[in-house]
Amino acid sequence: MSDEILDGITQIDCDVLVIGGGTAGPMAALKAKRKNPKANVVLLDKANVKRSGAISMGMDGLNNSVIPGYATPEQYTKEITIANDGICDQAAVYRYAEECYPIIQELDSFGIRFQKDNNGEYDVKKVHHIGTYVLPMPNGDTVKKALYRQLRKSRINIINRYMATRLLTTEERVAGAICVNTRTAEFLVVRAKSVIMSMGAAGRLGLPSSGYLYGTYENASNSGEGYAMSYHAGAALANLECYQINPLIKDYNGPACAYVAGPLGGYTANAGGERFIECDYWSGQMMQEFHDELQSGNGPVYLKLNHLAEETVSEIERVLHIVERPTRGHFHAGRGTDYRKDMIEMHISEIGFCSGHSASGVYVDENARTTIPGLYAAGDMANVPHNYMLGAFTNGAIAGEDALDFSADVDFAEIDKDAIEAERARVLAPTKRTDGIPPNQIEYKTRRFVNDYLQPPKVTAKMQLAQQRFEEVRDDMENHMYVRDSHELMRSLEASSILDCADMAASASLYRTESRWGLYHNRVEYQRDDENWFCHTLLTKGEDGKPTSRKEPVKPYIVEIADDEKDAYNKQRVKATATAE
Amino acid sequence: MSQLFEEFDEISTLAEGLDDAEAGGRIMAVIELANSADPEAIPHLAKAIIDPDEGVRKQAALALTAFDGSATAAALVVALGDESQAVREAAALSLTELKDPEAGDALLPVLTDSNEFTLLACLAGITELRRPEAMAPAIAALAHTSPMVRCQAVSVIGWLQDSTAIPALRSAATDEHPTVRRTALAALGFNKSDHSEKILISGLDDKDWQVREAAAETLTKSGSHTCIADLINALNDEYWQVRLKAVRTLGRLGASESALHIGPLMSIDVPNLRKECAAALGELCVPASREFLELFKDDGDPDVRKNVRWALGKIDSL
Amino acid sequence: MPLAHAASTVPVVVNDDLCIADKGCTVCVEVCPLDVLRITDLLDGRKTAHMKYDECWYCMPCEADCPTGAVTVNIPYLLK
Repeated sequence: MSDEILDGITQIDCDVLVIGGGTAGPMAALKAKRKNPKANVVLLDKANVKRSGAISMGMDGLNNSVIPGYATPEQYTKEITIANDGICDQAAVYRYAEECYPIIQELDSFGIRFQKDNNGEYDVKKVHHIGTYVLPMPNGDTVKKALYRQLRKSRINIINRYMATRLLTTEERVAGAICVNTRTAEFLVVRAKSVIMSMGAAGRLGLPSSGYLYGTYENASNSGEGYAMSYHAGAALANLECYQINPLIKDYNGPACAYVAGPLGGYTANAGGERFIECDYWSGQMMQEFHDELQSGNGPVYLKLNHLAEETVSEIERVLHIVERPTRGHFHAGRGTDYRKDMIEMHISEIGFCSGHSASGVYVDENARTTIPGLYAAGDMANVPHNYMLGAFTNGAIAGEDALDFSADVDFAEIDKDAIEAERARVLAPTKRTDGIPPNQIEYKTRRFVNDYLQPPKVTAKMQLAQQRFEEVRDDMENHMYVRDSHELMRSLEASSILDCADMAASASLYRTESRWGLYHNRVEYQRDDENWFCHTLLTKGEDGKPTSRKEPVKPYIVEIADDEKDAYNKQRVKATATAE
Repeated sequence: MSQLFEEFDEISTLAEGLDDAEAGGRIMAVIELANSADPEAIPHLAKAIIDPDEGVRKQAALALTAFDGSATAAALVVALGDESQAVREAAALSLTELKDPEAGDALLPVLTDSNEFTLLACLAGITELRRPEAMAPAIAALAHTSPMVRCQAVSVIGWLQDSTAIPALRSAATDEHPTVRRTALAALGFNKSDHSEKILISGLDDKDWQVREAAAETLTKSGSHTCIADLINALNDEYWQVRLKAVRTLGRLGASESALHIGPLMSIDVPNLRKECAAALGELCVPASREFLELFKDDGDPDVRKNVRWALGKIDSL
Repeated sequence: MPLAHAASTVPVVVNDDLCIADKGCTVCVEVCPLDVLRITDLLDGRKTAHMKYDECWYCMPCEADCPTGAVTVNIPYLLK
């Protein structure tokens, strides 16, 4: 019988353990191994590294490439600082901007192609004037295959279908991780000198409006284990109240792609076909206007392409339907939607944590170090803001090299046997019962409450209610959850990460008593308050086992921002007098 | 205990699967050989590419994307002549993934092939490899009846960036097919000369808007003061896409006499165009354009605002 | 409380005649990020891949990587 629950536990040792084989993880593993080919580098994934993570099917381009001659690290750092309402430690952003170009060249050498013009030079698309950041990827559907080949060539030890559930730590540093096989429930203890977490966004936090648990914007396997594990290990998480919320195609939940359609003349419109926001760049302010239009009598909101020339529409279709979300074409065909004739209905995504698009992540410095020595985080789960795919690759590379150096100087830390036994008991508890609540119902209920009470606009009393409901669900989860096979066991562990993230989202949102980042943290009872809240909020696990928050000053800027640049993302609504051409 | 690490057999063991009596077994062997990423697998895949079963051949053609070099290219060239369209297309796709210039050794002899599909695929494959020997057959291919072949031949020439090919590109710039004309104009970008500039200027009057757009865009790279009057004229093009590229190029060329022509375009309600106009006016830094910029200081589009403020700042600092 | 079975139409469909699971192929099962596919025995003794768990992100690697074109990913009914 498949998915049977077996009893077993194995222990292995390695110099660098990388958890998560999506985007940042493979690059971290490669860089660590290349720095010291004798090092034992293990790359572990809950799925299979061949097709895991946010870029499972590929990516159509880079949104934030900083290429000499087109953009400068100074300008990029400035843009990201402004887009993030000033709450930004610039050192990590600046380092990314300086180091991403060699990463592009390296990816190019892996066989991932970036668009070149008819003289064979990078064809960077001009979207902004001062900085030009968009570089299309014509064969972006081959990214994962190209990465996998590099892993094989470098002889990285790959472990698929093992899910990390908790980190092992000592008083001083990280010691390893406990993992469970998703098809047999056998345990694996990895003793590691350093650990890199690259486990993606917390994308299964809010419930999509379709009600389908897996109809999320993020790859639905990104259920927030990285956030939950960091939390339980005692690491700090930053600005979790700055949710990820994106404008998406209604029901389909794929991006409407301002980056693809915008430069070619597509835009977001209301039911009357009128533009109501002037800039489709994803920001909290843009999402606030989008939300307001949906709530007004002018909604729903659409992506409008039907005014464009036939050649332009075909080009948009080619890019959107081939790479990143190839089922998009099926979806539109199923509903008889033709970009040439019809506008495409859009909606607001469920909430999530993701630094790739916002700023909610595990707190890291410019070396990808978390607050626990030897523990690193990179990619969507690490709080280098607006990082996107190239940020995951670049910061993964930074983490890999730094973690290797860390491992070279230390021996294995002591493993806490009691912690392993306690974790085994926690993980296996739902398998020891004879009946109870299945994980999908625990998950559904958690996520429905997330929508009911945590989705912005945020209201204090509602968020407090959420905390009560979450406690009740937690009691059910800890005492009554029941699984029948090892696949359901994986889902039960995901349900637990999701509930931890929900608790963190409520707690972090209640702590910051101001509004910031447009819709992402719109607390209706409070205005923006730079005097008291121009700071990060860091969330950790408190002595009582519940989330607690503190303020952390924003580090002094490396690149100064002039006063008249600070509001760059405000005031986006089209003026009433503007008329369409 | 279940298997922990991904484990893989030796290449020779994996290759034994290619002798399986059933096609399914052979397909699995091809997949495993590709996953190995070990160049020793190439000769085995070259054998699989002439398998009696279509599915095996197609999988082998796809599997060769994992490899590079002339042996890989040679195996793919064989598959270009396959009786099955699916196999031919898979091979053509894999050819475009080659990066090692040495792979060109297997493609060069085929660049005079009479078969259109093979010729197109080999031209596409050799483009990125930048082999100088491809120049002559590419120029010859400009006379081919298929516009797709002509277009790909233009790309091969453009990537080589060799000024002796300018006459060939000039004649391609008057090709009957708009895509060929467009590609040829874009390929002239590397060559900064009066000659190229003249060709690009005449492209601004092409009947196809995408050709005009390519001409206006490419002048950014290879234009001089000679083209300014024509670009100012292009500011009245009926397509905003063409106007946008003309604005950008005028800005980059520092054509200060165009500032007062660009200013009025800002009142056209296309944010992409406004953005570009503001940026160009900043680059040109002509004080008289201040009145246009002032009107859009609080524009609804953050990128327009950003560019307008940047432009005003530059004018102020004169 | 005992568990009930709720019927659900699944988005991933496998053509048994094209599937080469008999030959040990598990490509689709391997690549699924959500691990929802499994190999099962057919009544006539052959094997085929099938969607065991209705937890699909309709991302397509199973369809794209299937060497025989046996897999089709549809949009889940609740979304389409």
